Amino acid sequence: MLLFLGMSVNAQNKYIQHDSIKNLKEVKVKSATKNKIETEMKIAVSVDEFLSSSDNISFIKRGAYAWEPLLNNMSTERSMVTIDGMHVFGACTDKMDPITSYVESNNLAAIDIKSGQEGSLHGATVAGSIDLKRKNTAFSVEKKWSGAYQSGFEFNNKQFFNLGNVSFSSNKFVADGSVSYRKAENYSDGNNDVVKHSQYKKFNTSLGLAYKTSDLSSVRVDAIFDMAKDVGFPALPMDLSLSRALITSASYKQLFEEGLVSVVDTKIYFNAIEHYMDDTTRPENLVHMDMPGWSTTYGLVSKANLKKNNYSSEIALNAYDNLSIAEMRMYPQDRSQRTMFAYSWPWVTTRYAGLSMNNSWDISEKSQVNLGGSLGVNYNYSKYVEFNWIFHPGAPQEKTRFLPNLNAGYQLQIDQFNFSVGTGYGHRAPSVSEGYGYYIYNSFDRYDYIGNPNLKNEISYEGNASAGFKNEKLSIQAKVNYFYIENYIIGRILSMGSPMNYQSVGVKGYTALDYSTLFNMSVNTTYDILEHLHWKGTLTYARGLDDKGGNLPFIRPLSYQTSLHFMHGNFGIQTAVNGDLAQINYSPEYGEDETKAYKIWNLSANYTFNFKNVKSVVQVGAENILNEYYSTYADWGNIPRMGRNIFTSLKLSF
Amino acid sequence: MKSFQFFVIAILFVITSCTIDKTDYEAELESEVPEFYEFKEATSFTSGSYKISIEALNGIFYKGYNELHLKVVNTQTNQVVTPSNVTFLPILSNTDGSKTSCPHEYNLGYDAVNKYNVGYSVFTTESSTATTWKLYVNFTADNQIYKVEKDITVEKQSNKNLNMTSFTGKDNEQYVIALIAPQKPKVAENALVAGIYKYNKPTIPAGVFPDPTQFSYSKVSGYTLKLDPRMPEPSMGNHSSPNNKDLVQQNDGLYQGIVNYTMTGNWTLNFILQNQNGLIVKGTLVSTDFTPGVEGVKSELFIDTLF
Repeated sequence: MLLFLGMSVNAQNKYIQHDSIKNLKEVKVKSATKNKIETEMKIAVSVDEFLSSSDNISFIKRGAYAWEPLLNNMSTERSMVTIDGMHVFGACTDKMDPITSYVESNNLAAIDIKSGQEGSLHGATVAGSIDLKRKNTAFSVEKKWSGAYQSGFEFNNKQFFNLGNVSFSSNKFVADGSVSYRKAENYSDGNNDVVKHSQYKKFNTSLGLAYKTSDLSSVRVDAIFDMAKDVGFPALPMDLSLSRALITSASYKQLFEEGLVSVVDTKIYFNAIEHYMDDTTRPENLVHMDMPGWSTTYGLVSKANLKKNNYSSEIALNAYDNLSIAEMRMYPQDRSQRTMFAYSWPWVTTRYAGLSMNNSWDISEKSQVNLGGSLGVNYNYSKYVEFNWIFHPGAPQEKTRFLPNLNAGYQLQIDQFNFSVGTGYGHRAPSVSEGYGYYIYNSFDRYDYIGNPNLKNEISYEGNASAGFKNEKLSIQAKVNYFYIENYIIGRILSMGSPMNYQSVGVKGYTALDYSTLFNMSVNTTYDILEHLHWKGTLTYARGLDDKGGNLPFIRPLSYQTSLHFMHGNFGIQTAVNGDLAQINYSPEYGEDETKAYKIWNLSANYTFNFKNVKSVVQVGAENILNEYYSTYADWGNIPRMGRNIFTSLKLSF
Repeated sequence: MKSFQFFVIAILFVITSCTIDKTDYEAELESEVPEFYEFKEATSFTSGSYKISIEALNGIFYKGYNELHLKVVNTQTNQVVTPSNVTFLPILSNTDGSKTSCPHEYNLGYDAVNKYNVGYSVFTTESSTATTWKLYVNFTADNQIYKVEKDITVEKQSNKNLNMTSFTGKDNEQYVIALIAPQKPKVAENALVAGIYKYNKPTIPAGVFPDPTQFSYSKVSGYTLKLDPRMPEPSMGNHSSPNNKDLVQQNDGLYQGIVNYTMTGNWTLNFILQNQNGLIVKGTLVSTDFTPGVEGVKSELFIDTLF
């Protein structure tokens, strides 16, 4: 954990502590943080593609766009996705807009993934946290311009993208800006059949301005604007006509040269998300329905870093207020008739305030102890509580919960070996949908879901361990974690309910299982075969069981990836094979069926050259070269994945 | 720097451009379904030195259930008087000459606090050229009996939540079921109040018209009105709701249950009327299957609502 702390201190103090950057770079690589938004296979990737290269992230995919990240095989209710520590909540009841869909790879600097209770710095979580870190150029002594431009074309879905970003830095003033536009048509699967409704268009722009108010303080304002239009969701009965996000913040940072406190960074933020679903593109639909959603969040996050001798600490205060609204309006066949209306999120307010702390002590040069925790208060208010009363008569309109989280860890380094053990305990409050959702149609199991305001906190008990070995040529790192989750929230069939959405087969209510267990394991190996030839292999396995010993849904079967990377001069070539074994531990109760094994072979080559001061990289590659027809365990409605895709990209940076 | 300014302008432009407006849920309910609280004079007549004023909600007699307030004022002293033996009889005349009535309170009770007589009338048809309504009111004031009659107009009830139905039961009796509350339902559990009335077949020959014994109705006692609300639209596939309660009789003689509306729109209240012995008077069980694309089959006893 110290590694993380060190990093974030470093990230914030770049312009003061220039010399420490080098020391910490290695640390970054070791930790789960990805410090460059590109994968081994591709230099120009979407945020989703980039996240999927992480061991403990998998995805629920409803199409080609806006994949829902699963951390430790747990969905976004259990993890916490933030942008620079800011809470942003999607406005779609069907989770068609995870937060990761509102950023773009060219306005991010890194993605910080923390597993389990270690991720409780920004609020209560069970699975962990994913923090999307925006680009934040440091002040420089001399005036400096830098920038990058990426363009590319992917043949399978005719995706054409242009991403540009530029930064200006000086002694007093810094500006970062980015613009991007992606446009893709329907993709084709491994049988060369077009997957209808898989097109999308996404525009994203961001701007950050920082001003140094004194030698040790600065202010910064940031804004991201994201707009997606005409996004198809082949696995759903409807598409997205428009989603928009405005994510803004203003922060003040104060550094201290002496004393225990090294930096205090306080940020206020506001974000507004609109999400309008559209089913007019689906003439087969029996009933026309409008499903707009809105999510507005105000918040404050204030962080202080403390350091003294072999002790360091990070303290964070988080507070936010979110209002989530989602409507359903159904139109009868005779349009002159009165429409039918209900709220799927009946104006649900969530307020959270919490104080968290992560401490670490270097006991010796070889070992380190971490201890962290947070205590939060979570408040919910449902304005139109009568909707919740339909299934839960007399449920309280407001509810306050206390959410404690604790974690402890020990790390030991002996020569070429490293070990760690950790444990955690934490509560989380039900999400808006779980607590107050109303007839939210889930096209995976084809049930309408009803929230339950009386759900108890979900309580996670967690243990984790890792062991690794590293020498000059070989490195092996194995990680395991185990979660025992009390009051595990999941949908169960309600016999009393009658479906509302015409595609659905029944009604499920969110209820709590007594407990469930989740086990995750990963092994990572790298081996330098030759000076310029590197091999990397990854193996992951997970198992999730409910209290009756049945399988939990969306648990990734045994998956593997093996890749070779060869570099010579300005030329690089890489190839990878990855796949999942058959999903034998599927859960029919939650709408899953057995998913067959698949394997995908990818290949790419790139060439780097300098043209005056401009560094240029061109890349050509192919994904799914064998054009395998497949869908993964987490593909909504078993929609097939993309078949063979040839991609080209060009990146210019100065 | 120019590009930054461009971004800012672009962002501002997009923020201020229009989006889909949020539904103003409360205002929408308000505009779609009228709700009346105020009793206003619906008709009045004078007899001798007395003016009789009959008040109804919104000052209009509607088809369906109407609560009625009857006030008697001495026009000479301008004082509200307390009449006794107030009777009330609505008579429907058809062009074919037939005369019938509708469920009503014949002997009006007195509300001492508000100083008026209270009754009700469940008008079973709207006034038209073929059907006309006339009220026959008798009362005693200062030991003198007054008999008055007056033509009235019964208008269409545009609020479907106050709909009514009349039918002949399997026991060969004539029944009327009229919805009384809620006037303006919500997406919620609504206390559903209905009056269930039966025509008392005359046992003696008719006397002088209007002979109240020939036009007698009463609230049925100890019956149960089983409820199964559903959305009839084909697109709603026979959608229903949980936690509904059958209507049973309350102390005031009216029947009360709970209807749970899961969303706004067209609903059908499917009923089965059972008598005090549990025998079905009217109504059939409806399918509980979810049948998208098919219009829901209604019970033979139902009332449509809309909000």
